[in-house]
Amino acid sequence: MKGTQLGEFEEVVLLTIALLYDDAYGVAVVEELSQRLQRPMSLGVVHRTMQRLEEKGLVRSRFGEATAERGGRRKRMFSVTADGEQSLREARRIRDELWGGIPETAFGN
Amino acid sequence: MDSRKDKGPLPPCWAEWLIGRITAPHIREEVLGDLYELFQSRVRSHGSTKAGLFYVLEMLLLLHPRLWRSPAHSTQLSNQFTFDSPSNPTAMFSNYFKVALRKLSRHKSYTVINVVSLSLGIACAILIFTLVKYHLSFDHFHANEDRIYRIYTELHKEKVTYSTGVPNPMGEAFRSGYSVAEKVGRIAFVNKRVVSLSPEKKFEEDLAFADPEFLDIFDFPLIEGSSQTALQEPNTALITDRIAKKYFGNQDPIGQLLHIDESLVVRITGVLRNLPATTDFRSEIYLPFASLKDHSPWMVEKDWWLGYNKEMQCFVRLKPGVSADMVDSKILRDIADKHYDKEMAKQFHFKLQPLSDVHFNPKLRGYTEKKNLWTFALIGLFLVATACVNFINLATAQALGRAREIGVRKVLGSQRAALFWQFITETGIITALALLIALGLTYLALPFINNWFSIALIVNPLTDTYLLAFLLGILLIVIFCSGAYPGLILARFQPVLALKGKLSQRSVGGFSLRKGLVVGQFAISQLLIIGTLIVTNQLRYSQQADMGFQKDAMIILSVPNNQKAKTNSLAAQLSEMAGVENVTFFDSPPATETIGSTPIQFDSRPEAEKFNISLKSADHNYIPTFKISVLAGRNLNPSDTVREYVLNEAAVKALGLASTQEVIGKTATINNRKGTIVGVIKDFHFKSFRTTIEPLCLTTWGEVYNSCAVNVNTANLEPILAGFRKAWTATYPSSVFTYRFMDEDIERLYKLDNMLLRLIQAFAGIAIFVGCLGLYGLVSFMAAQKTKEIGVRKVLDATTTNILFSFGKEFLRLLLIAFVLAAPLAWWVMENWLNNFAYRIELGAGIFLLAILITFIVALITVGFRSVKASLANPIKSLRME
Repeated sequence: MKGTQLGEFEEVVLLTIALLYDDAYGVAVVEELSQRLQRPMSLGVVHRTMQRLEEKGLVRSRFGEATAERGGRRKRMFSVTADGEQSLREARRIRDELWGGIPETAFGN
Repeated sequence: MDSRKDKGPLPPCWAEWLIGRITAPHIREEVLGDLYELFQSRVRSHGSTKAGLFYVLEMLLLLHPRLWRSPAHSTQLSNQFTFDSPSNPTAMFSNYFKVALRKLSRHKSYTVINVVSLSLGIACAILIFTLVKYHLSFDHFHANEDRIYRIYTELHKEKVTYSTGVPNPMGEAFRSGYSVAEKVGRIAFVNKRVVSLSPEKKFEEDLAFADPEFLDIFDFPLIEGSSQTALQEPNTALITDRIAKKYFGNQDPIGQLLHIDESLVVRITGVLRNLPATTDFRSEIYLPFASLKDHSPWMVEKDWWLGYNKEMQCFVRLKPGVSADMVDSKILRDIADKHYDKEMAKQFHFKLQPLSDVHFNPKLRGYTEKKNLWTFALIGLFLVATACVNFINLATAQALGRAREIGVRKVLGSQRAALFWQFITETGIITALALLIALGLTYLALPFINNWFSIALIVNPLTDTYLLAFLLGILLIVIFCSGAYPGLILARFQPVLALKGKLSQRSVGGFSLRKGLVVGQFAISQLLIIGTLIVTNQLRYSQQADMGFQKDAMIILSVPNNQKAKTNSLAAQLSEMAGVENVTFFDSPPATETIGSTPIQFDSRPEAEKFNISLKSADHNYIPTFKISVLAGRNLNPSDTVREYVLNEAAVKALGLASTQEVIGKTATINNRKGTIVGVIKDFHFKSFRTTIEPLCLTTWGEVYNSCAVNVNTANLEPILAGFRKAWTATYPSSVFTYRFMDEDIERLYKLDNMLLRLIQAFAGIAIFVGCLGLYGLVSFMAAQKTKEIGVRKVLDATTTNILFSFGKEFLRLLLIAFVLAAPLAWWVMENWLNNFAYRIELGAGIFLLAILITFIVALITVGFRSVKASLANPIKSLRME
C-alpha cells in the first residue's frame, strides 16, 4: 500500500507529532526536532513533510487558537491518525525484526 | 495592531508581504504564524538583526512547489476539509499552452496565414510608430523647450506672406528694450559655403552665425572647450565632433584654423557633441554672430528694418509665466510701431512660434504637417485591423470544425471561461510569434525606409521604453481584438448540438459578421488603391507637365564669385566646349520655392501697386536658354545693371491692363530700381504646381547672380562634365565644384510627395496582400465545408464554371458593397489633398473604376485559385466520405 509507505524523515516527524501530542504544530515540531537530532531544522522541510503526511492520511490537522506571539495568527495543530499509528508500529516492527535478526558477532570488533 | 507594536521587533515587512503573496491561501495563515513565532523566539536568543536574517533564510528554504500548490485532494482529506480555492491557474495555463500548440501545428495553413498577415500588419505598425515618434520628438530634448520660441514675420499685403526670418535689428531691440525673455539668441544660417583647411582640402558646409545665448537656449553641449567663452570672441568657431573627425582625424581640433570662403579665418575653440538626428538645426559649424558682418555684410545692414531674410532668425526663451500671446500682442506690436511708419507698421507683424511648431509648420518651412503623420498612423491602424479581421474570419470559420472538440470538453466539465481562455492562449501564441517575425521584418526594412526618407530611424525595444510599451500594447490589443470574439463563439456552443454535429454555419453566428469584416477589408484595400492611383497621377502630372520652360538637359553650376571678369571668362570657356548649346547666369533657376518678392510701382501711377512682384535676376541668355516664349516686345538687352524689365502675363493682368502691348515701353520701379519694360513673356511655373502663377519680372542685375545654367547635349555627358570641372576650377580655384541637373531640382520640389507616394504604395500592397491571404483562407474553408455540395452538384451535371460562379458571386457582392463605402471616403480625402495644388488633375470615374477592377482581379485570382481546385475535385471522393 503506497499510501502508508513511510520515509525516514517522515517517520521521525510523525513520531515527534505523537510525542508532542496536544501541542504538535509547526514551530513546536521544528524546535523539538532540532533539539533531539542536534542539528538545525528549517521550517520549510518540516512543513513540507507534515503536508505530505497529511496527504497520505497519516496525520490530520485542525486550526488551534490564535495567539499574540504568532502575530495573531492561528496554529495548525496536528495529531496522528489511526493509519499513522499503524504505519509507525509497522515501521517499528520492521526495525525490531531487523535488530532481532542481527547476529551477536556482527558488531564484534 | 497595537498589541503587535508592544511586542517590539517585527519581521521584515517586505519579506512577510512576499511570502504571503507566494503562499497558497489554505496554508498562508499557519506559515506566516510559524515564521512569526520562530522570529520572536530568535529575537530573544540572537537579537533582532540576526532574527531578521534567519527569517529571510527560513523563507528561502520554504520555497518549494508545495508552498504555492493548491491542496491535493486525498480521499481521506476531502471528507474532512473543503477548500474553496477554485483552480490552479499555472497548471491550467500549461495545459492551454500545450493544447494550443498541438492545434496550431495540426492546422498549419491556418497558422501560417494568420502569422504572416499579423506579422506584416504589425511590422508596418512598428515602422509607422517609429516614424511618427521620430518626427514628434524633433527638438524635444532641449531643457525648457516649452518656453522657447522663434520670432517670425508676417507681411500683410494683398496676401499674407510668412517668413521664418526677422529684420536683423529685431534681436537687439527685443533684448535691450524688454525684460520678458531670459535669453535672446540671433542666428543666421549661411548654407553651402566653402570651408578650407588648406588650398587642397576644401569642403562645402552649412554654417551658422550665432549669439552666445543661442547655446544657452538650446542644448547643444560642448565636449571640448569652455561654454563660458564659446561664440564670444570674433573669429572663433565651434565644430561638431563629426566635423572634427572629418577634418582632422585624431588630431586635436582645438586651436586649428579654418578659412571660411575667402573672407574669414577662424580659430576652433570648442567641439560640440554630435547633433542628434532629431533636430532641425543642422549646421555643424558655429561662428560668432559678430563675425557675420565680415562674412555677409548685406545680412546685417545697420538698422535695416524693411528687409528680412528667412535665414536671419531670432530665438527667445521667455521667463516662466510669460504668455506668448501677451508678447505677440504687446511687445512685438510695440516694436513694429516704434520702428515703422504708420503705413508699414500695418504691414509688418511679428509673432512667436513655439519650438514644437517649428518642425510641423509648412508655412514656416517646417518639414511636414502633423496631419500627414496622423494619416500614417491611421494607415498603420488599418493594416493591423485588416490582419485582425483575417484572424477573426478564419477563427470563426474554423470554429465549426472544432465543434466536436468543444462538445467533448464541455461534457467533461469545461466551463465557458476555461474554453475562452484556452482560445485566447492560442491567439496569444500566434500573436507573439507574429510580433517576433514583425520585429525581424522591421529590422530588414529599416535601411530602406531610412534611405527613402533620408532619416535615421532606430528600432530597439530594449532601449526604447515607448516602443516596448507600444509592442506590449499592440500584443494585448491584437490578442483581445482578434481572440475575444471567436473565443466567445466557441465557448457558447451547445454541447449536445455540437456533439451531434448539428451545428450549422448559421448557429456559429458569425457569418454575417464575417461578411461585414470582409467588406471592411475590401474597403480599406480600395481606399488605399484609389489613394495610390490619385497621388501617382498628380505627381506624374506635375513632374511631366509642360512647365513653360525647358528643364531637360540643363546643368546648373554654382557661381561663388560674380565679378564680371570671372563670369565672362567662365562663360567663354564653357561655350567653347563641344556639346554646349547655351550658357546663362542668374540668381534663381526657373522653378524654385525660394524666390523673393518686392513692391512695384508702374508707369506714372502715384502709388505702389497693392501686390508684390517676384523678381528674377538673369542675363539676356536666360529666356532663349530656357526656351521661354516672348509674347510681346523683345528679350532683355545685355547689361549688368538694372535697365530693362520683362514681365509675365500674370503681372500684366495684375496691373489691370487688357493687352500685353500696353506695358511695352512704360517705366516701372521695382525693388527701388527704375527700368523700362521691354517685353512680356508667357506665364511659366516658377514655383511648384501647388501655387498659382504669380506676377513675375525678369531683369539684368549682375551683382546677384549666383548660378549658371548650361544647356548641353546629353548624349555624351562624361567629357562635358569633366570639361566643366576643369574650366570652373580654373576660374574659381578656391571653391568646390558642384553641379546638379535641373530636372532633379524640379523633382526635389515634390520630394515629400514622392516619399508619400512610395509609402502609400508599399502600404497598399501590403494591405491587399493581407486581405488576399484572409480571403484565401476563407475560401479554403468554404470549399472544405461545401465539398459535399460540390460533389452532389457535379453528379447532377453542374459544370466547373457553374460551381465557380456560385463561389464567386458572393464575394463579388461583398466587393461591390465595399466599393460603395470606400469610394466616397476616398473621394473626400483625395479631393482635400489635391486642393493643396493649384494645378491639379480632376478626379474622374476612370480612377475609381480602375481601383475596383484591380481589387476585383486580385480577389478573383485568390478566390479562383482555390475554387478551381475544389470544383475540379472528383465527386466520388467527396461523396464517399462519411
